[in-house]
Amino acid sequence: MFDVGGRGDLSFNDMAYAGLERAVKTYGARLTTKYLEPTSGGQGREELLRLLAEGKYDLIIGVGFLFTDAMTKVAKDFPAARFAIVDGCPDAPTANVACLLFKEQEGSFLVGALAGMYTKTNKVGFVGGMKIPLIERFEAGYTAGAKYANRKVAVYADYAGTTGEAFKDPVKGKELALAQYDRSADVIYHASGATGVGVFEAAVTRNRKAIGVDADQSLTVPANERLHILTSMTKRVDVAVFGTIQALIQSSWKPGPQVFGLKEGGVGYAVNQYNKTLLTPYVPKLEALKKDIIGGKIKVPSTKLELQTFLQSLGK
Amino acid sequence: MRSRGRLLLLQAAAPIVAVFAGGVIASAIILAIHENPLSVFGLMATFNMQAGSVASILTSATPLIFAGVATAIGFQVNVFNIGIEGQYYIGAFAASLAAFGLRGFPAPIHLVLIITAAMLGGLLWVWLPAFLRRRRGAHEVITTIMMNYIAFNVVLYLLGLVRDRNLGSTVRIRTPLFPPSAQMPHLAPLLNALGAPIPGYSPLNWFLVIALALAIVVWFWLRRSRFGYEARATALNPLAAEAAGIVVGRVQFVMFLVSGAVAGCVGLSDLLGRAGYFDIDFPKGLGFLGISVALLARNDPLGVIPAALLFGYLNRGAEGIQAFTNVPREVITILEALIIMAIVVAYEIMTRYVRVLRKQEVA
Repeated sequence: MFDVGGRGDLSFNDMAYAGLERAVKTYGARLTTKYLEPTSGGQGREELLRLLAEGKYDLIIGVGFLFTDAMTKVAKDFPAARFAIVDGCPDAPTANVACLLFKEQEGSFLVGALAGMYTKTNKVGFVGGMKIPLIERFEAGYTAGAKYANRKVAVYADYAGTTGEAFKDPVKGKELALAQYDRSADVIYHASGATGVGVFEAAVTRNRKAIGVDADQSLTVPANERLHILTSMTKRVDVAVFGTIQALIQSSWKPGPQVFGLKEGGVGYAVNQYNKTLLTPYVPKLEALKKDIIGGKIKVPSTKLELQTFLQSLGK
Repeated sequence: MRSRGRLLLLQAAAPIVAVFAGGVIASAIILAIHENPLSVFGLMATFNMQAGSVASILTSATPLIFAGVATAIGFQVNVFNIGIEGQYYIGAFAASLAAFGLRGFPAPIHLVLIITAAMLGGLLWVWLPAFLRRRRGAHEVITTIMMNYIAFNVVLYLLGLVRDRNLGSTVRIRTPLFPPSAQMPHLAPLLNALGAPIPGYSPLNWFLVIALALAIVVWFWLRRSRFGYEARATALNPLAAEAAGIVVGRVQFVMFLVSGAVAGCVGLSDLLGRAGYFDIDFPKGLGFLGISVALLARNDPLGVIPAALLFGYLNRGAEGIQAFTNVPREVITILEALIIMAIVVAYEIMTRYVRVLRKQEVA
């Protein structure tokens, strides 16, 4: 079941759908699938979940943390059905709810390292949407990656606001990005939903680079912005969705938090036909860093506090 | 005498013809996407008979009755309050502040305080457009629409200030949870005791009863009070009313404020009967639906009740169609809008026809 906005958002929901499609292709004969989209507001969300549960679907996936409360309620009433939430988790562990969570900091670390290596001015930027712990996780990973790759780099970080609107404010995104570019940053990473549209516009205006988020944004932006996108930090909702369906079919499905990091292929950086040549010199280094993170040699910080400790350890 | 009977019959037939016309257009679309309209409508009808569906229809009709009555109050006297949307957002947020901010009151007092806060919130948001119209003649359609935008952003900003920071790993942007004294009791236990098999999970609550009572009270107020008479005179012919000594501007100002105060209560059923907190997922658009409800009810407070129920019915039917057929969500949204449009158009045609008949009779 999709979040409001539904299919066609070129990012979150569409990626979840891609995961569902892949499952149908792989296990077609054994699967009956159904996707629904609620109207905004909690009542429809809960009612549709209930209908699916009554319809004896084995696994019901809610795409987006907004499903957390409705799903917690419905899961309690249908102990035999299984549920999964992307990006969310019930407050108390529930025996039939899986939480599909992502280590955004790990992917952010890699694109941060890329920014650190790429920058000529030793200044890189970050534009976040709403200032909440989830988005600060992107910032922490990015800063850590940039500094790890290049000790001399300075990271500017700005947020578009403290409300949900901060994720759909391209004007603010453009202003913040322009300000950072004018302070001679030459790469800016955004984790700000539709606000990032403004960041890309600013990158074109100042002829600098930007880094996308969630999906491979080089593929979806207007053609004139493409060459300004260095890469995108991909959050593979499709991998998580496919994984949880596969686990169900192979009878290895588990409730509780399941974290998708670099190791699980849940996050990463995008290589496509537009940025391939540009990235080639950096790829070996990025792959080495990836190995170090997966092997545990680098512990990527996920909060501001952990970031401080991480930076101190770098200083030594 | 014979033609009078025919008139009455025609008026009664209008809504039925309208629903039928809506159904025909909808069928064409369903056929176009290679589904059988009869089985789709059949499914909708049987699905909507289930106890869970009835509960759902009543639950979604509750805020629509408030929104419809609020709109009708304004429209009755030619005040086009398009700002119900913003007024209920502010009302719901004010109610939330009273709900988690005030502690230690017994439930009945706490609920009354919260409802008062909601009405004051709605009043606050309607006051400026009402004042501007009365004093400066600013057109309320423009001012109230602008106030809607301001309301959404003000509420989001304030929500950021008061949001609960002690939530687990999942980011949820919402106020602290309301205490039990701020929760409206559900109707399911009572209805079950009366033999109605409303499922226990249903958030159907006493706000439905309050909404019904409100519609009746407003109807009485407009029919039986002196002010109501002035309002109806204003609606029929403002110039004649003015000439008869009614201060039309004042009547409209008062009705505008009342409309806003009622609008403040639109979100309460969702807020106090279901969610128990205010978050970024709080239902939007109920105010605009309220306009359709009021139009369908021809601005009659009592007519708002069946109109709101029809919207609840379509909404639940859409859920059933989405869950049990392959008709995609987009088509269902189009269907809903088409049925509503067909009803409005058919209604209009019937009314005109009736008018023509009347004229013939006079001549």
